Amino acid sequence: MMLAIVRFARSRAAHAIVSGIVGATIGGIFAWILRTVLLTEGMINAVKFLSGFALIPGEAIDTFHPILVNVLAAVIFAVHVMVGAGSGMGLFQDSRMGRFMYYAGASTYAWGLVGQVIFWLEGALLVNLFRVWSGEPFDLMAESALVLGAFFSVVGFLIVGGVMTDWFLWIGGHETPLHHGAPEGMPEWFRYFSVDVNHKVIGIQYGFTSLFVLLVGGIFAILFRLELSAPGLQFLEADQYNTLFSAHGIVMIVSILLGVGAMVNYLAPVMIGAADMAFPRLNAFSYWVGFPSFLLILAGMAVGGWDTGWVGYSPLALRTAVGVQLFMLGFYMSGFSSIASAINTIVTTAYMRAKGMSLFRMPIFVWAALATSLIQFTATQTVGVALTMTIAERALDLTFFNPENGGNPVLYQHIFWFYSHPAVYVFILPGLGIISELLPVFTRKPLFGYRWIALSSLGIALVGFLVWAHHMFTSGMADTLRVPFMITTMLVAVPTGVKFFSWIATLWEGKMTFETPMLFTLGAISVFLIGGISGPILGTIPTDLHLHDSYWVVGHFHATMFGGFIFPFCAAMYYWYPKITGHMYKESLGKLHFWLMVPGFWVMSFGQMSVGVIGMRRRISDYDPALGIQGTHVLITIAALVIGWSILIMIYNFAVSARTEPVAGRNPWGSRSPEWQAPSPLPEFNFDVPFEVVGDPYDYGLEDAIYTQAAPAPSGD
Amino acid sequence: MRKANHFINVGLIIVVSTFILRLVFGWMFQLPYGPGAEADLDTLPERLSVFMGFVRPLPASAESVAIDVMFNWHFWMIAFLFALIMGLMLYSVFAFRRKEGDDTDAPHIHGNTALEIAWTVIPIIVVLGFGGYGWVELNRLITPKPDEMTIQVTAFQWGWSFNYPEEVDAGPSPVRGPVMMLAVDQPVLLEMNATDVLHAFWVPEFRVKQDLVPGRTTYLRFTPTDVGDYVLRCAEICGSGHANMLASVRVVSQAEFDEWVIATATTEPYSTMTAEARGERIYREGFGATGAPSCAGCHSVDGSVINGPTWLGIYEKTGTLDDGSTYIADDEYIRNSILNPNDQIVEGFNANVMYQTYAEAIPAFEAEIEGLEGDFDFDVIADLIAFMQTLEATE
Amino acid sequence: MSAVVDHHDAHDDHHGPVIPYAEQLKFNRLGIWLFCISEIFLFAALLVARFVLWQENGEIIRPELSQEVGLITTSVLLVSSYFVNRGETAIGVDDRKTFLNSYLIAAVLGMIFFIGVVVFEWNIFGLEATIGGIEVFGHLKPTDGVIAGIFFAMTGMHTIHVLSGIIFLFIIWNNGRKGHFNSEEHWGVEASAIYWHYVDVVWVFFYPALYLVGSVYHG
Ligand code: HEA
Ligand code: HEA
Ligand code: CUA
Ligand SMILES: [Cu+2]
Repeated sequence: MMLAIVRFARSRAAHAIVSGIVGATIGGIFAWILRTVLLTEGMINAVKFLSGFALIPGEAIDTFHPILVNVLAAVIFAVHVMVGAGSGMGLFQDSRMGRFMYYAGASTYAWGLVGQVIFWLEGALLVNLFRVWSGEPFDLMAESALVLGAFFSVVGFLIVGGVMTDWFLWIGGHETPLHHGAPEGMPEWFRYFSVDVNHKVIGIQYGFTSLFVLLVGGIFAILFRLELSAPGLQFLEADQYNTLFSAHGIVMIVSILLGVGAMVNYLAPVMIGAADMAFPRLNAFSYWVGFPSFLLILAGMAVGGWDTGWVGYSPLALRTAVGVQLFMLGFYMSGFSSIASAINTIVTTAYMRAKGMSLFRMPIFVWAALATSLIQFTATQTVGVALTMTIAERALDLTFFNPENGGNPVLYQHIFWFYSHPAVYVFILPGLGIISELLPVFTRKPLFGYRWIALSSLGIALVGFLVWAHHMFTSGMADTLRVPFMITTMLVAVPTGVKFFSWIATLWEGKMTFETPMLFTLGAISVFLIGGISGPILGTIPTDLHLHDSYWVVGHFHATMFGGFIFPFCAAMYYWYPKITGHMYKESLGKLHFWLMVPGFWVMSFGQMSVGVIGMRRRISDYDPALGIQGTHVLITIAALVIGWSILIMIYNFAVSARTEPVAGRNPWGSRSPEWQAPSPLPEFNFDVPFEVVGDPYDYGLEDAIYTQAAPAPSGD
Repeated sequence: MRKANHFINVGLIIVVSTFILRLVFGWMFQLPYGPGAEADLDTLPERLSVFMGFVRPLPASAESVAIDVMFNWHFWMIAFLFALIMGLMLYSVFAFRRKEGDDTDAPHIHGNTALEIAWTVIPIIVVLGFGGYGWVELNRLITPKPDEMTIQVTAFQWGWSFNYPEEVDAGPSPVRGPVMMLAVDQPVLLEMNATDVLHAFWVPEFRVKQDLVPGRTTYLRFTPTDVGDYVLRCAEICGSGHANMLASVRVVSQAEFDEWVIATATTEPYSTMTAEARGERIYREGFGATGAPSCAGCHSVDGSVINGPTWLGIYEKTGTLDDGSTYIADDEYIRNSILNPNDQIVEGFNANVMYQTYAEAIPAFEAEIEGLEGDFDFDVIADLIAFMQTLEATE
Repeated sequence: MSAVVDHHDAHDDHHGPVIPYAEQLKFNRLGIWLFCISEIFLFAALLVARFVLWQENGEIIRPELSQEVGLITTSVLLVSSYFVNRGETAIGVDDRKTFLNSYLIAAVLGMIFFIGVVVFEWNIFGLEATIGGIEVFGHLKPTDGVIAGIFFAMTGMHTIHVLSGIIFLFIIWNNGRKGHFNSEEHWGVEASAIYWHYVDVVWVFFYPALYLVGSVYHG
């Protein structure tokens, strides 16, 4: 039975259906635009005016214009559906639109979306079955229907998208060999749009999605920043503002998690000399479960939004619009992605290292990936508990957090931050790993204090578990709890400091060159420093009593997240771009990006801290002109736009360079790391000849030091 | 020898830029002070020394003195660490960058155990120092002071109400209101409750902040020391009205405070007022200890639109509802609109904007006043309608 | 730990390097144990919530539940673990018959536990009956405050795991019936056994937390 379904899914007919749906979507959008434009009063009047020359009476236009437009719209729609269906069957291959629909209709994204919609309806109908049975009215938008529908929809995406096909086949007792390469009959590039098990393909998929999600979150930011450029309400209502910043927060965090996934997936296996991750199918699952979850968050905005910010504190979360349910479900489901990929990473680094690569001979980034994974696969579970409890409290009438029924709102905060504080170190550890990885290459010096840096990653991860309540200093919890958390919070500064000092020592006497990745590395250090040292002032309670929930905090965490993630991520993308595509990026555009983004960011972050100290609260759509901060707010908004433009420049650079720039060769940076010893782009299984490790990773400046060399042919153990 | 030169250069740079940065930070990160502080910020030298944290302006609360000292230490540390790391980084960038034509590698330095121990241990000492400092200061903030005045603070979506203790009671009416009156130099203890969701008490000039949690009481202590008007700003997201959840805080002299207490306590009881006057008072002051917001927050009496329709000429007005039907604002309609706000939504307005539980608050308020004032049959809605009837549109 | 990658046909893009079964088994074992550790955090968070919320005046409380039903379901679950273990041992010596029987029994016992929780404790059909003076159907409703909230959250989260475990056992049984697994290669059996034992152990912590610790709260 399983086989029959799979066979159907791979048939022409199924392809035609999905391509047809793609066509219907495109045609629908066109028809909708056509109708909105041509049926406006102004347009009708214009038509009347013009047809007056042809002596057609106005009344005739009144009757026939709408009919004509509607017929036209219907025709456009129908043509698109037919072109879609036809292209799915292999027709129209020489038209651009036909090819687009052909490939779109075969892509996992389209299949997944179709599944998401169908399963959403199924879930909603199931709930309504119960509703009608127990005498309630039929309502697809009822809260419980939305929740079950949303939950089903993610499952639907995965099932119909084919992410779990191999597992179902295994359940049915069939053989499931791993399939490498593009799906049958498809070109190589199509791998990036389908379920693929190769860690590099998945890494790129993560990376693209991360950038896309960053743009979405960035657009939200730009919108509410424009609103904040003057006191009073400009073009948003309070609720819309609240929804926008809440969605901005969580969408950006999803973007970071995806970006972390990109770096860890692409780099960790290559750096340790493995051919792939330990569980390639699970790896694909990790990526694909994240995508529909992100869509749920957007759906949450569409069904009414929510007010709570990304933290979702009760009891507000119990009272706000239903959007909060989809936000929480999306957040929760993307947790599966984190957990699965973290387990994968740990197993991979534990067992798949090249011969001779002891723990302290791993490239430093692998340490960071390991520390990140340790946090992710444990703490993520608890935020899941906090979120599901809230969802259940709303949808099933259970009580956990609502004080009216005896619940405890502060408990939510504890469970939430038990994940969400360690999570902030998930955001930065890979980025800090990138900094440590790149500095030696561009200074031509060994990494100063390799062991201590490696261990400080673990130190941050472990101490990070003991500080969560510093987000709750004003929550009303007992002082016997406040003080210990203050002390532990201060202590996290120590392992982070170790990294800073070691970086500086690496730079000292280094023979530096300043290509774009190096610039971004230095930028990352400076920005993360701003973020880091604005932390202890929040960690000591008396000062936090003033700064809590002010824009100082906003400045603090944008600086940490930009310095710890965005800047290193950019550095990583520039640095590994030649490895991934085989071509160099445009250096001039890279430098332009840097010189826009760094000042832009400094202005934004210092500006936020500045208005925060004077009394600007977080999460407000309107501020008191008497604070005298409008000028600074305008600066922040301009800075936000500059940052936005600079990121677009980077994307443009990456989009064109692979076609226009010269071939980069194996090792343009002269790095010692194993991935640079292999061809660019990397072959399917990374190393055609396995290597073994015979020296330390960062022995720059040491004559004849060898890190890796071709392993002698396996002699059968 | 050259090596030593590098260290001397960079050391100088760090020291100098620490001071410069402290000054810049002082200018960038200005803590808010009460009106009394203006005099302290008059001349340039005064401003500079305030920016450097050497001198502090007059504080608005006793707590802010100690907290500002702590801020000052933090800003010095931030300035120093920023100067240290950035100084070393930028110095390396300029001093050690690859020279033209040199394509050798840099010296092979793996690490230095003594250095690594130092930069682990010294920060541990520093941060533990700050931790201990914070602990000591926190203890000072939470120790009860003698002769504290207890004020009950209630927060709700989206407003504040303040109840003063029995001891300051001086007349028939309870001392309370939507404005927080404080006597200068009188330590206060806030006993705080929220009726619906989390809120937070924050007057930036006083520095301290505390969440209000429904279902439990939280406490906050401070002593205002600077006469003037302040704004209390809700600092925990609490829904669409969060941005505007403000209240006035007036710090006045003890004499003025006592006067206000007496004036409030001896306001005429509701029972002896006319229905219209009662209605107007409820419209402005709200619903007593129930904490339900007053009508004035959302409905104007001058024809402007705040959150809801204006009350000017509202009585027996006709109009359209958002479902297209028409209405007449008669007694029945008004009563129902107060008790069940979502039943009828006037065109152009939104459901769920109005406070949803007047149906509970109003009887509670009636019972409260009847309890306080004895034999008196209080009908809040009738009084409000009586007030509305006085609001004839001029045309 | 030598490199595990076998490169003999790495040049053909469509057949990946083959990872030997023994090697893959090592990965899988670590993977599933990491998964179990991960889930500890899920259940621990629920336990913490239980001890925070089930308090009355600083005293730990618990709901009034039928001790008899609790004891029976718990014993059933523990016995099922024994059968899973027996099945796993059996396939290790290629005793397919014992393996299949044990798994079937374990799955049925799991079903009994499931019914015990859902039909009796949750009483989703709203039944009432007393046997020998003992009320056999629970009376907690979702709306009964935190007592019900935590009760349904803990039993619910555990029951979802039990249900997926039962399905897992059935899948393995079914594949075993079709002739899969032998003494050499039976990762599927091992995984289902580990999972089932794990779910069992969780209940060993949940059972006292729900049924034994604290004084009975009469709402
Ligand atoms: C990437 C993310 C990231 C990182 C790395 C950090 C790092 C730190 N954070 Fe931050 N934080 C956030 C993201 C992050 N934070 C977010 C998102 C929030 C808000 C959440 C919300 O409410 O929405 C937040 C909020 C937040 C709060 C709560 C504020 C409030 O709401 O009242 C606190 C309080 O203690 C805090 C403290 C710290 C500390 C002490 C560190 C430390 O780890 C910093 C350590 C680094 C340094 C100190 C600099 C380098 C060190 C040296 C040069 C050594 C020498 C140093 C000393 C001697 C001090 N953070
Ligand atoms: C990685 C995390 C991340 C990132 C990168 C950002 C980026 C930005 N953030 Fe974000 N922010 C958060 C995480 C992040 N934020 C979180 C967690 C919160 C807390 C939410 C809460 O309170 O709950 C928050 C809250 C927050 C606030 C406080 C809101 C409030 O409390 O009321 C503000 C205000 O200034 C702000 C501003 C910005 C700006 C201007 C950017 C800019 O850097 C954005 C730059 C722009 C882009 C990257 C997009 C570029 C694209 C375009 C210009 C359009 C291109 C279009 C197409 C291609 C179609 N953010
Ligand atoms: Cu009340 Cu925000
Ligand atoms: Cu934190």
